[in-house]
Amino acid sequence: MTTVIIIRYSEIYLKGKNRGFFERLLEENISKALKGIKCERVKQSGRYLLEGYDEGDVDEILFRLGRVFGIHDLSVAEKVPSDMDEILRASLYVCEEKGSFKVLCQRADKSFPLNSMEICAEIGGKILEARPDLSVDIHQPDFYVSIDVRENGTSLVFKDRVKGPGGMPVGTAGKGLLLLSGGIDSPVAGHMIAKRGMKVDGIHFHSYPYTNLQAKEKVITLAKKLSPYTSGMTLYIVRVTKIQEEIHKKCNADFMVALLRRFMVRIAEIVSQKDGAQCIITGESLGQVASQTIEGMTSTGLVTSLPILRPLVGFDKEEIIERAKAIDTFSTSIEPFEDCCTVFLPRHPVIHPKISDIEREEGKLDVDSLVREAVSDIEILRL
Amino acid sequence: MIYLDNAATTKPDAECLKKAKKYLYEDFYNPSSVYKEGYDLKLDLLSAKEEILSHIANPRDFDLIVTSCGTEADNHALFCGAKRGNVVTTMGEHSAVYNAAKELSQRGTDVRYAKLKEDGSVNGDDLLSLVDEKTSFVSCIHVNNETGAISDVNALASAVKKKAPGALFHSDGVQAFGKLPFKIGKDVDMYSVSAHKIGGMKGCGALFLRKKISIKPYIYGGGQEGGMRSGTENVFGIKMFEFAAAKRFSKLEENYERAAHMRDCLLKSLDDELFKVISSDKASPYIVCVSVLGVRGETIVHEAGDRGLLIGSGSACSSNEKKRYSRVILACGVPEADADGILRISFSPETTEDETIECARILNETVKSRKEIMG
Repeated sequence: MTTVIIIRYSEIYLKGKNRGFFERLLEENISKALKGIKCERVKQSGRYLLEGYDEGDVDEILFRLGRVFGIHDLSVAEKVPSDMDEILRASLYVCEEKGSFKVLCQRADKSFPLNSMEICAEIGGKILEARPDLSVDIHQPDFYVSIDVRENGTSLVFKDRVKGPGGMPVGTAGKGLLLLSGGIDSPVAGHMIAKRGMKVDGIHFHSYPYTNLQAKEKVITLAKKLSPYTSGMTLYIVRVTKIQEEIHKKCNADFMVALLRRFMVRIAEIVSQKDGAQCIITGESLGQVASQTIEGMTSTGLVTSLPILRPLVGFDKEEIIERAKAIDTFSTSIEPFEDCCTVFLPRHPVIHPKISDIEREEGKLDVDSLVREAVSDIEILRL
Repeated sequence: MIYLDNAATTKPDAECLKKAKKYLYEDFYNPSSVYKEGYDLKLDLLSAKEEILSHIANPRDFDLIVTSCGTEADNHALFCGAKRGNVVTTMGEHSAVYNAAKELSQRGTDVRYAKLKEDGSVNGDDLLSLVDEKTSFVSCIHVNNETGAISDVNALASAVKKKAPGALFHSDGVQAFGKLPFKIGKDVDMYSVSAHKIGGMKGCGALFLRKKISIKPYIYGGGQEGGMRSGTENVFGIKMFEFAAAKRFSKLEENYERAAHMRDCLLKSLDDELFKVISSDKASPYIVCVSVLGVRGETIVHEAGDRGLLIGSGSACSSNEKKRYSRVILACGVPEADADGILRISFSPETTEDETIECARILNETVKSRKEIMG
């Protein structure tokens, strides 16, 4: 009897000719996630088995696989030869001490002498004989004993199915560049898009010396927390101090954020071309702050030909916070370091900016040279 | 690089390092060991502690408990010294005392905070008005670590003892020890110090404890430091502390005059249209606190750093209002607008006049250009 981990993936997306492509990326992402842990991966139909790892690594393996999109669920199972005595031994091993149970069986090996109903009945009966404290409840059992009789002469016996992160393998749906501010929203936006299979890289804007090194470090921490979900992440760090100073000096103060965001999108587009990203992702949510209005979004959308994905556009703050907590970015996001958006913050930012007004204000700046200057000195981190 | 953040930490003294090196490479033994090599070290440490003590107190009257830092010494004093009744401290304490007092208050102790005068020294009248016969513990910082303001802790201790004879009086002397001429007065019971503020190593501090006072240990274990602070002794750190203290105290007055000269030199060279001086002229000359009007202190610290000058700030680029301004600076009655631009320049005996003038030049230039940009 050896312990293995069963990794199951949702087959719904894996039909037709694309199957190989999806599976290859999922395998790559699993290997990347398990880097540094000794184990072997065996492919079976619709699932992988992990074998040959140290018992002490099980929790770490489950934790890491819990961040690989495309995995539907996971089980820690006992692998035995397909023999009723061995299956019973494994079944007794996985059983709880007390409570009610139900035996489930799948039989892929049609040459096995008993069918799945018969296996359930026989194993269930023998468990009851051996463990008088247990009882059977086929409607609402406290736990299941699942038996999977495979074609290759082995059977897998397990108790729990741990829910995986779901979604699609990262890399199957192109690549996007996430505007990562350090706040609560943007990591959640990146997580949601990665879940649909998109590779996500990050871009962060700072205004040192007005913002501090801790603020930058905080964003690096957020990117590190996201990177297991995105199967690694490249983070581009861009200084926009000069742009903010120029806006402050030459333009109507109320347009600071509206103008700055257009610069961010322009810079993100240039970085996307180098990075191979096909879209820009933001954590904007309609009406959350002054710049996140439909007018604000229209204005930023006009300066790029790339689509801007805003997965949180219809979310309430509370819903976003709940997700941020679930992916463990919340506690980092609420560290109180200022980001560049709050430097030179106007008292009354324009909420419904007219494109003509924005363009008039922007006309006072040498946009091209400011953008060129910003992208000429980008710090690149591979996480 | 010009380093003028010596109130945060000082560079370990090279001469002392040379002398103390053998305690890393040769005399590395555990002083609790029973063989001769270990026992000799124990004796060596005892004399080192007495030596450190003797600079400001009589070793007949005081014990020295070596700790891992000034913060631990403060925590030991508060958590083990405060008994029933109430505790009185000040709004100008270093976080090591202030946050420990807050914790005491959380645990149900009545903790009272005395107001500060404008320069950051404690308002003695207010402190005494808070003390009553039920006061069990009073803690008052000797030199304010942000403004350099000096409180006369000996006089305060005597006044406190008149009102509450049973109270213990503690002072955080981290920014005073080895810098100011001072002897512990008859009514001060505990005094915290730290090695790395005077050329010693980080990881070594001490609590001076009057012999007739009985308090409990803060850390339990193998019974080192006479049972008052268990844990294998930091031999190298203690010897460095001994050597550094000896060096500082041997030239205490000379260094003091030198620091005062640097302070005057700095204040003369700073553009008084750009800076407002917060420290009073009676403050410790080692610490100069100024405010830049209209620019956040941390912004200037960043930019000065890029230009080769390292100094401290009293405000942070924090989006949390409560964390942005220094609690101590606000307690001095400084308005928020000024509190936003706080800078702290702090000297060591090694600071030269050239460095001080260059510091002023960099600050003048940085603030001027920043103000031009920010309009």
